[in-house]
Amino acid sequence: MAYKDFRDFLHTLEKEGQLLTISDEVKPEPDLAAANRALNNLGDKTPALFFNNIYGYNAARIAMNVMGSWPNHALMMGMPKNTPLKEQFFEFARRYEQFPMPVKREETAPFHEVEITEDINLFDILPLFRLNQGDGGFYLDKAILVSRDLDDPDTYGKQNVGLYRMQVKGKNRLGIQPVPQHDIAIHIRQAEERGENLKVAIALGCEPVITTAASTPLLYDQSEYEMAGAIQGEPYRVVKAKDADLDLPWGAEVILEGEVLAGEREYEGPFGEFTGHYSGGRAMPVIQINRVYHRKQPIFEHLYIGMPWTETDYMIGVNTSVPLFQQLKDAFPNEIIAVNAMYTHGLVAIISTKTRYGGFAKAVGMRALTTPHGLGYCKLVIVVDEDVDPFNLPQVMWALSTKLHPKHDAVIVPGLSILPLDPGSDPAGMTHKMILDATTPIAPDIRGHYSQPLDSPLGVAEWEKKLSHMLR
Amino acid sequence: MHICPRCESNRSEVVTRSPVKGAWEVLLCPVCMFTWRTSEPDSITDPAKYKSAFKVNPQDIPNATHVPPIPERVQRRS
Ligand SMILES: [Zn+2]
Repeated sequence: MAYKDFRDFLHTLEKEGQLLTISDEVKPEPDLAAANRALNNLGDKTPALFFNNIYGYNAARIAMNVMGSWPNHALMMGMPKNTPLKEQFFEFARRYEQFPMPVKREETAPFHEVEITEDINLFDILPLFRLNQGDGGFYLDKAILVSRDLDDPDTYGKQNVGLYRMQVKGKNRLGIQPVPQHDIAIHIRQAEERGENLKVAIALGCEPVITTAASTPLLYDQSEYEMAGAIQGEPYRVVKAKDADLDLPWGAEVILEGEVLAGEREYEGPFGEFTGHYSGGRAMPVIQINRVYHRKQPIFEHLYIGMPWTETDYMIGVNTSVPLFQQLKDAFPNEIIAVNAMYTHGLVAIISTKTRYGGFAKAVGMRALTTPHGLGYCKLVIVVDEDVDPFNLPQVMWALSTKLHPKHDAVIVPGLSILPLDPGSDPAGMTHKMILDATTPIAPDIRGHYSQPLDSPLGVAEWEKKLSHMLR
Repeated sequence: MHICPRCESNRSEVVTRSPVKGAWEVLLCPVCMFTWRTSEPDSITDPAKYKSAFKVNPQDIPNATHVPPIPERVQRRS
């Protein structure tokens, strides 16, 4: 089911009625961001946007919100667009277990069509624009960045493919924010300890499977390309970069090759973040771009990010939930049912589990805090019974409202780590965390009056089938 | 030379002009790295109307927190 490239996926979206072309002239600011924000406000089944008439440009084409809804996420996985979210989660988990799928190597790629190595000016090459009013500049925020581990360059999985915001700060200069919990921070540190620049490659306009793998919290030595292969069910196609031993996604629209300048920090930001708050202005590493290649008339892909929900939340919802689910299952293989860590990248996580004895659910919550992703997120963990669907918030609220006794079931663990972008962390990067146990107490925990749970009238399943058929 | 709406330095430079002549220019401030397009709303382009919470004092820039800190050089035995 693999998509050949970015255009192939856009074509599928169009065929499925999930691509809206805006041919009226729009201003780069504030129209592009405003239209996208408005679209995100209109629900969770919205189409991607394609702008082809932008004030001041002759031929710029910009695609946004490409994965910004559950139908588009289902299509990314090659599933019917109306596939329910819970089914998408379990299918993603199934494919996650097919990891690793070795890559397929190619010699050339469509993006070799046009190559620029002299007088690079990113402001000329890319139709850049501002998203939120307080942003310090124009950003690349849906580009993937590839880098390699310097201590162990031969272990394939330690080549990292990640999604990082990058501010365009000069004709051939970018600023990058390496959050310490993310793999790029390790590679930059290795290079700077040697006093060397770190070679990197940046791909814009990728088909969505590599973007999904790049934004999945994989373990450090797991390859995003090999995960992309597992998700799409066939080997992922890559081609070598020219200035470094780095693999690039074959289907990208634009490639930038360059290096992180060792020991350099420069003012960057602020940027409106997925937390619904701006990051402050800080001094961050700088990337110098030495080589650009792109397809003729490239399509520039961008995403609107801001107060949830936006495309970011659809993009990192299921793929954040699944690694937590798998890692919890490693610890409790017979109990864990499903994990919903879709809220603000898993700052809130909801876990559905069977319980073996009194206090078990709290242990499940503690384990979530110590998973690799939990170390930077999972500020609030809600644990619910096996018969509560963690993707169904009314059911979760029912469990909280009836199963939880604040005296016994609210556990606060002080002084844990969190990503520094959490605006509530104090100091940045530190927080207390809370587990809310909304499971039914079982022996030897004999609290409450839970011996008469409500059941349904006999025959409900048959009526569900019958009525849903009649309603078609 | 142009005034940066954010830090009010007067060193901003044009980094690109619109492919369609005369529509806009993009300017970059080398002091605070702010970037803006001349066709943006005046709450972005006018120093007097730029939101005060987002103003930057050029004197604070050299003291900005390093994220991440620059590590010590490590000598490696070959
Ligand atoms: Zn400035």
